[in-house]
Amino acid sequence: MVKEINDVSFESEVGTQDKPVVVDFWAPWCGPCKMLGPVIDEISNELDEKVKFVKVNVDENPLAANKFKIASIPTVMIFKNGNPVDTLVGFRPKQSMVSEIEKHI
Amino acid sequence: MERYDIAIIGSGPSGLSAAINAKVRNKNIIIFGNSNLSRSLVLAPKVNNYLGFYGISGTELRDKFQKHIDDMNININTEKVNNIYAMGEYFAIMTANKTYEAKKVILALGIEHTKPIEGEDKLLGRGVGYCATCDAPLYRNKIVTILGYNKEAESEANYVSEMANKVYYIPMYKDEYELNDKVEIVKDKPLEIVGSGKVEKLVLKNTEISTDGVFILKDSAPPQQLVPGLEMEDGHIKVNRKMETNIEGCYAAGDCTGKPYQYMKAVGEGQVAALNAVEELSSILK
Ligand SMILES: Cc1cc2nc3c(=O)[nH]c(=O)nc-3n(C[C@H](O)[C@H](O)[C@H](O)COP(=O)(O)OP(=O)(O)OC[C@H]3O[C@@H](n4cnc5c(N)ncnc54)[C@H](O)[C@@H]3O)c2cc1C
Repeated sequence: MVKEINDVSFESEVGTQDKPVVVDFWAPWCGPCKMLGPVIDEISNELDEKVKFVKVNVDENPLAANKFKIASIPTVMIFKNGNPVDTLVGFRPKQSMVSEIEKHI
Repeated sequence: MERYDIAIIGSGPSGLSAAINAKVRNKNIIIFGNSNLSRSLVLAPKVNNYLGFYGISGTELRDKFQKHIDDMNININTEKVNNIYAMGEYFAIMTANKTYEAKKVILALGIEHTKPIEGEDKLLGRGVGYCATCDAPLYRNKIVTILGYNKEAESEANYVSEMANKVYYIPMYKDEYELNDKVEIVKDKPLEIVGSGKVEKLVLKNTEISTDGVFILKDSAPPQQLVPGLEMEDGHIKVNRKMETNIEGCYAAGDCTGKPYQYMKAVGEGQVAALNAVEELSSILK
């Protein structure tokens, strides 16, 4: 399951975690985001124990989007101990997304 | 939604050859491309190395190709494909207004001869993009600059101007420009996109523009942008002898797979790609 978080809960959901956190920045008007959504859902089921998955709607959460300079969506960011360690811009097929995430486990 | 057997992207010699071969095998196909088939085809003054057609002009050859596909009831869909997503079982093919689905994809894109500009690769996804309509809402109340290489870019600029605070349009071709009053035309040569972390400005020969985003709108985006996850090699799509790319079910043919850039190589590759796609489809059914 991929939890929906927002500007207010961002720090507590992403900032203070032991395991890596994958943040999917998306918006309802974005076609590729709709394609990536189910892919991330699938991956989250498989990597559930090792990685936390959350998503942020950039339309409703401009602070987080601005802070991490989101200029194109979907953007997937990977955080460790609250710090961004990787930024993946745009859709990618499941297998390549999994191998990018696994680098940080 | 209807799911096509094979979607062919590109209406040059390689795409058309793929189309006729897939159609002969009774596959349900869709082909995307240009109403004049291919600019490279129309521009050729004399072709002397297309077996059977000595001394033919590019436009004559184009007319013969057109007649061939007309006779086989193959119609070109003239929408530009913006993105192709490998969903596993199928491909989702996005144009500006619609989504199509296909089991197999053949990329017959040709090659983009214009070089990327300085800073383009570095700032891709950090303010640089290839589809303005896709990302326009992110630029609400911001400044956007569009490098337009074709007429279609004008309507994208008009669309973006409804959301952005300011839109600059740099035309890379000569024509009348159908742009609304909110779009400012800048006739100058772009040299470099500058920014640390994200786009800050565009440097031109005679001036500089402070901007939050730069969209580069050509006939076709680089293949790895068009198909996320696609593996490239020396600027071309990497294929094997069956014209398979690294993505299962996705083939490539013609100039986009590498040199030599020639008609006969293009049609040969299109045929090989189509026949292998057809083969794969029938092995799925078994
Ligand atoms: C002036 C000139 C003269 C030439 N003379 C010769 C010659 O004498 N002999 C010879 O063998 N070769 C010649 N060539 C080379 C030949 O034109 C190419 O090798 C051939 O056209 C390649 O075919 P193709 O199908 O791979 O790509 P193209 O013919 O380039 O076709 C690609 C098509 O795909 C479309 N497309 C691309 N991306 C998208 C997208 N995202 N959505 C929708 N449509 C898309 C393009 O608009 C284009 O119509 C010449 C080329 C030029 C420019």
